[in-house]
Amino acid sequence: MSPKCTIDGKEYEFKPGEMIIQIADRNGVAVPRFCYHPGLTIVAQCRMCAVEVEKMPKIQTACSTPAADGMVIHTGSEKVKSAQSSVMEFLLINHPLDCPICDKSGECDLQNYSFDYGAPDSRYEEQRRTYMDLDMGPVIKKNMNRCIHCTRCIRFCDEVGGFREMVALKRGNNVEITTVDGKALETDYAGNLADICPTGSLTLKDFRFRKRVWYLKKTKSVCEGCSRGCNIEIHQENGVVYRLLPRENMEINKWWICDEGRFNFHYVNAPSRIVEPSVKTAAQLETSDWSTALAEARRRISGKVLVLAGSDLTLEELRAIQKFAADRLKECALLHFGTPGHLSADDDKDEDKILRRTSKTSNLHGAEKLGLRGWKGDGSYDSALVFRGGRAALPHGLRRHVKGAIVGVGVFPREGAGDFDVVLPGLSYVEKSGTIVNWQGKEQKLQRSIEPVGLSKGIADVFAMWA
Amino acid sequence: MPEIIVSKFFYNKEAAPLSYYKAHGGYEGLKKALGMTPGAIIAEMKKSNMRGRGGAGFPTGMKWGFIPKESKMPKYMVCNADESEPGTFKDRAIMTYSPHMLIEGMAIGSFAIGARVAYIYIRGEYVREAGILEKAIEEAYKAGILGEKVMGSDFKLDLYVHRGAGAYICGEETGLLNSLEGKRGEPRVKPPFPAIKGAFGGPTIVNNVETLAAVPAIILKGGEWFAGLGKFPNSGGTRLYCVSGHVNKPGLYEFACGAVTLRELIYDHCGGIRNGNKLKAVIPGGSSAPVLTANELDIALDIEPMMKAGTMLGSAGVIVIDETWSAVKAIKRITHFYAHESCGQCTPCREGCRWMEDVLHRILDGHGKMTDLDLLLNVAGNINGKTLCALGDAAAGPVISFVKKFRHEFEEMIRNETNALNGRLSAEQGKV
Repeated sequence: MSPKCTIDGKEYEFKPGEMIIQIADRNGVAVPRFCYHPGLTIVAQCRMCAVEVEKMPKIQTACSTPAADGMVIHTGSEKVKSAQSSVMEFLLINHPLDCPICDKSGECDLQNYSFDYGAPDSRYEEQRRTYMDLDMGPVIKKNMNRCIHCTRCIRFCDEVGGFREMVALKRGNNVEITTVDGKALETDYAGNLADICPTGSLTLKDFRFRKRVWYLKKTKSVCEGCSRGCNIEIHQENGVVYRLLPRENMEINKWWICDEGRFNFHYVNAPSRIVEPSVKTAAQLETSDWSTALAEARRRISGKVLVLAGSDLTLEELRAIQKFAADRLKECALLHFGTPGHLSADDDKDEDKILRRTSKTSNLHGAEKLGLRGWKGDGSYDSALVFRGGRAALPHGLRRHVKGAIVGVGVFPREGAGDFDVVLPGLSYVEKSGTIVNWQGKEQKLQRSIEPVGLSKGIADVFAMWA
Repeated sequence: MPEIIVSKFFYNKEAAPLSYYKAHGGYEGLKKALGMTPGAIIAEMKKSNMRGRGGAGFPTGMKWGFIPKESKMPKYMVCNADESEPGTFKDRAIMTYSPHMLIEGMAIGSFAIGARVAYIYIRGEYVREAGILEKAIEEAYKAGILGEKVMGSDFKLDLYVHRGAGAYICGEETGLLNSLEGKRGEPRVKPPFPAIKGAFGGPTIVNNVETLAAVPAIILKGGEWFAGLGKFPNSGGTRLYCVSGHVNKPGLYEFACGAVTLRELIYDHCGGIRNGNKLKAVIPGGSSAPVLTANELDIALDIEPMMKAGTMLGSAGVIVIDETWSAVKAIKRITHFYAHESCGQCTPCREGCRWMEDVLHRILDGHGKMTDLDLLLNVAGNINGKTLCALGDAAAGPVISFVKKFRHEFEEMIRNETNALNGRLSAEQGKV
């Protein structure tokens, strides 16, 4: 029989060695915390997760106290409340209280707990501690004055990010959290520092001052950056994506996401994306309308057709393409493309020891499952039909193998679409729902987060209009 | 003739070399220990009622007994020579005059717990003492006392001196271990305790210099003899009292545990207060011990009586303050020390120590308010018992005791807006 402990009058089972906070988290008992993070080592520094354990004279920290059989724990006793309010007071005496201009405001642990556990006024009359900030590279902006020294960022770099590049300098009240020698962060996972920071001390340069967080609408989805398929949350307002956050999935990405995946969404609302049907006249693509562009595409796809499907498309889209190729095209070769050098799923490897995979498209393994093979960059064709979801690398040298027209369906940047004779704008991964298969063979759902940008249409719609 | 153990060779300039130590009965304890089983040594230590001399007073034999017999990781013996508690200077004298006594004690301890590597973690400021220890270790290696075959037995022991970089927090055992491993000197979360997972992940015993220096005598003469020296149950042997401050004869005094009271120590042994002044306050156990007033002197100098009196014997660093010195100034200086030495890891200590120092500074500067005194007590109470390691308690205890016991002085200073530049009271206030 597994041991049991009592938290606030209710009995819970636990595995030996579990900390009180883990039991509380699993059972929905709220214990405030700053330094504790399930993915990082336990340091018990912030002292916020205080609980009272019967038969123990001192207040204990829930994060570092292993539960014992028969232990009786109180999370809301007077002793606990006074300990927590004193920690809040200590944390706030040197905090600038600049919530109105802070990007973390609205999703800040310090702010939230200060409402729940703090006092409305301050007894502090001395001078507040201030710091000078050094640049931390392109991803993260540091504001040390807001820091509460929880050291989550230091531990993240040591234990997850792969580089021991953040440190605590000096000691006592003057402790400064910084990068080694004030250098820029090198890790590919720096964005996570902003997620785990419980205050506005580390924020994303990419997101800073762009949107108040309470306006953002959130959709659970999956990253399309590589074949890992990290779980994400898309934050958007009025059809504009502002940021992506990682979503916990212990089997795939735990709590993290790489910077490449995090900032990948920018092409969605970028002006460089082709969002209107376009037809090439003379030397360049000109904006057209759907009926003209479709008619042009239909007319010019003929003879031996090379159909290239991006391995960034969903299973549903790939199946539709397969059906289209079988039903409508007399003579065609249907192949996938995506990452240079990735002709089959066997070419997909770990890029680092953390999350990143070498296949930079999300559904390579799904495309293989449907029986598609990679285009080796050979053959000669009369015309080509290219389907792309927004992430696959454009097939270079396509023009050399195609005598006639090249028609693109999907997300294309204006630059790099020079070879195309017709472009029918399609949907990116935040504008559509569908299924993708990651490298482990797990099927995951993309969720539509925003309305199609411009005149973009899904592949199924294009096929419906094609006839 | 009072029993003298660790201060046997004090102030004898010829006592440090191995030849002198051996000629005066040195390494007999180790020889005897090597003939015993490790279990018997630990049993002897338990019988001796030796309680750690570093400040916490944890029973040494019990600590040694926590070491698991079977361990995949190598075990370590570490000597805490980071003597950094203000008012404490006993370990320095032991290392200067009896380095071999410490080495012998460490060898016995290592043998008892099964350690093959031992470290002396010495504070960075003890440059000369580190040199003396290095020299003594070299002598011991040459004489076959350390190395592959300790005194001809099958027991192998390597002993290293590791110098710290000057941080009070590295005297806390887990902070010490972090520093020893080359990390930032910050205390670790306990449990696991060092006896289970200490230096480099192996079971580790951390003992004070004085504790280890007394081990040879315990082994040689028996635990019961040592326990019999103590005047109170559960506290055996003798200990060194470091008397500093305004007494006529400051210095190191060795007495059996609990044999003398604070009053006897100050007036009978240390020659009373300088210039015939009146006594104001005594801090009995290093600066982290709550202060005692002149009316609280009839307390036996041992762990339990001191605890009953609401203070602690700590490292037995007795700091004597006479009537000419301001209590506000004294606690400001002590609090400054703790604010400066806080590692900055946990919230109450990092933020609270500095806050208390700032408030005390303001009072000394003549900008104090009466409400500041309750604020001080409250802030100190919020630190006390709520921190990761004992440094928070060490900082809060003195503030609470000073404000409570010398409140009138604080109030007077606030009322008069005294700019107490050097902390001395005016002629009327102090009657100098």
